[in-house]
Formats: sequence, structure tokens, C-alpha cells
Amino acid sequence: MLQAHSLLWHYLWLAPHLFTLVLVVLVLRTDFRRHYPFFCLYLTLASLEGLCLYALDISPKISPINWWRAFWGGIVLEGMLKFVLIGELLHHLLRSWPSIAKLGRNLVSGAGILLVFVAAIAAAFAAPDNAPWLVGSSHVLLQTIYLAAAGLIVSVFAVAAFFHIPWERPAFGIALGAGLVWCEHLALWALIAGGVVRNRTWVDFANMGTYHISVLIWYYYLLVPEKKRPSKTPPKDRSDDPPSDPPSASSSGAPQDHEETLNDWNRELERLIHQ
Amino acid sequence: MTLAYLLVFAAVLAVSYLIYITRQRTLQVRSDASLATRIQPIDIEAFRNLIDPAEREYLRLRLPGPEFRAVQRKRLRAMAAYVKTAGRNAELLIDIGEGALSASDPHAAEAARQLIDNALFLRRNARFALYRIRIALAWPDSGRAAVAILHGYERLNGSAMLLGRLQNPSAPVRISATS
Repeated sequence: MLQAHSLLWHYLWLAPHLFTLVLVVLVLRTDFRRHYPFFCLYLTLASLEGLCLYALDISPKISPINWWRAFWGGIVLEGMLKFVLIGELLHHLLRSWPSIAKLGRNLVSGAGILLVFVAAIAAAFAAPDNAPWLVGSSHVLLQTIYLAAAGLIVSVFAVAAFFHIPWERPAFGIALGAGLVWCEHLALWALIAGGVVRNRTWVDFANMGTYHISVLIWYYYLLVPEKKRPSKTPPKDRSDDPPSDPPSASSSGAPQDHEETLNDWNRELERLIHQ
Repeated sequence: MTLAYLLVFAAVLAVSYLIYITRQRTLQVRSDASLATRIQPIDIEAFRNLIDPAEREYLRLRLPGPEFRAVQRKRLRAMAAYVKTAGRNAELLIDIGEGALSASDPHAAEAARQLIDNALFLRRNARFALYRIRIALAWPDSGRAAVAILHGYERLNGSAMLLGRLQNPSAPVRISATS
């Protein structure tokens, strides 16, 4: 079952890319394209690249070295798009919150600089490979790209969690799917570039299977509408408030009483601010 | 080879973190209704007194050095408790505002956006103020550790009341209390 050119192998290579193209067609009909143009571009190019590589792989006319050349070109193009996509996600996370936007961008940029250093060190210590240069270098390049991309996407999640920044549902779904597949790819390409794993078919299955899961995550977050939260807060019973809470400020009673309480509060706050 | 295993370990940690974040997000949506009741009002005037440089200066002049530092440490601990509560309230207000962002009433949606922005600013200040208070605990003579929090909290209070009034006039959200 877990062999190259088995039925499962064909399915896992083709299906996620075909599903992705269908997803692109579905989201292009909505306003989504205007808000996430680089994600749409990334999905389209990644799918076309995957399908082209599949066609080249099964074609008897294409030599292995030419396949690796095409693979190399795809890595570079897709790698650049990954970083643009992270920028797009960060923009969507921070654009509505000017009070935190600059700090958030600086933190993620700082993480990016650190990751570039770590990726360079990891690349320098990659195990030597007897395979042709094109093959060995693609392993190291993939490890480098996934180290930076996975690190950056996790740093975006960390900044959002640290400051409690709310995510838009599509941005969260895109980041989650991308984060999962990039982290898994980082682990496997690190094992390959480090010489721990070489020429094992299960690696292809793991990579393709994880990408399939990510595509399904994108389907869920981009096509299934979010559950509506209750928009009204229930009236609060203030009886168990701390002693500092004055009984006169109770929230029960007629709306005009609350209006008066609010006015009292605003007057008091104005006095405090201008003291 | 060691580096490869380190990277695999980092990737496993990262995936676990992503799963944890997703799980937290799901739970947050489920428990949304009880958020407003978890807000703990803060006595903003008592807090203002606590961080007043004049009060600190008065204590410094009236008390002998070791006694002043002991009192100042107690004041800083109380300050930290206030700041932690302010930060927690800011988190809750972010969640409340997030729920109201998609409101059909544009005024409520804009108030929610404003509330979240102010709450994020306060939460950021609360984080930094807590670090400064912890440093000040080691060196109690340094002051003004939490002044930025006070102004942020006052601004946030106005936003929270506005959103609460737009969403449900019978139960405005209050995050401050006077003694």
C-alpha cells in the first residue's frame, strides 16, 4: 500500500491539488479574492505545480534530472509566495488594531531575523549527500524554507496569543492549515537534509497526507460559516461583587437609571483624567 | 544529525502549540455567554492613589529607608494585583468585543472595534507594567511603573460602557468601581 505509484500514492498526490483548485474556484466567486489575493495565488500556483510535477513524474519522456530541475524551480517560486502569504496573514491580523500593529509587526520581524540565522546554521550543518547537487541542494533548500516559514507562522500565532489579538476566521484557518503542513514538512525535510532518512517512500506519503489534511482545514474555515456568538450579554447580578463595588452603581433597574449611572461615571472619569 | 532531531522536536512542539491554540479558540466560542459576568470592576481611584508619585514621595520623606522600602514593596504588590486584574478584564473585553464585531448594527460593530483596540492597548501596557513592577520590587525607589495602565484603563472603561449600552441598555458592561 505505502509504495510509490500505488493507488493511494496517486490519490494523495492528485486529490489535494484538485481539491485546492476547486476551492480556488469556489472562493473566487466571493469577496474572498479581494481580501486574500496572495493566498489565492499561492493555492493556484501550488496546485498547478503539484499537478505538473505529477505529470512529469509519470511521463516516460522526462528524465529524473529534468524532474528535479522543475521541482527546484517550484520550490523557489512557492517559497517566495509562502513569505508573502505570511505577510498577508499578519496584515489581516493587525490591520484593525492600530494600538498593537507596530509592536506586533516588529516582534514577528524580529523572529524572522532570528529564524534566518537559525536556518543558515542548520543549512551549514546539513549532512553531505552523494546524490547529484540538484537533489541534495533541494533538500537543504526545503529545510531552510520550511524552518523560516513554520517559525514565522508560529511566531504570528504566539504574538496573537500573547496579546490576545482576535483572529478573523479565514485568516485563522489559512494560518492553521499552513502552519500544520509547514511544521510537518520541516520535520521530514530536516531528517532528510540531516541524513537520518534517505529515499524512503513513507516520507512522500506523510508529506502528501498532511497537505491533504491542510486542504480539508482550509475547506472548513473558508466555506463553513462561523457559529454566531450571542450578541447580548446577560444582566449581571452584582450581589457577589468585591467590596469596592458601590451598591449605587448596580446594573439592575430602569434604563434611565443606568444612563444616569453612566453619566456619573463619565463625569468622574473626566475629573480623574484632567486632575 | 543532532540538529535534525532538534528541528523535529521543535516542529512537534509547534504542531502541539497550534492544536492547543485551536482547542482554546473552540472553547472560547462555547463559553462566550458568561464573559460579562466574569469582569471584575476595579476601584480606579484607589489605583490612582496607589500610583500617585506625590504619595510615594510623602512616604519616602516621612519613613526611614528600610521601612519605606517595605511599605513600597507592599504598595507595588497591590499595584501588581490591580494591573493583573486590569489585564484579565481587557482579555474578557476583547472576547466580548470579538463577539459583537459581526453585529448587524454598524454603531455596535464600530464600538466593538474601538473597544477591542483599546483593550489590546491596555493588555499590552499591562504586560509591560507588570514587568516594570517586578523590577521595581527589587528596587522600590523607582516609581511610575503603572501610570500608562491608568490612562489606558480609563479609555477602555468608556469603550466598554459604550458597547454595553449599544448591545444591551439594561446591562451595561462596567470595568471600574469607586470606593
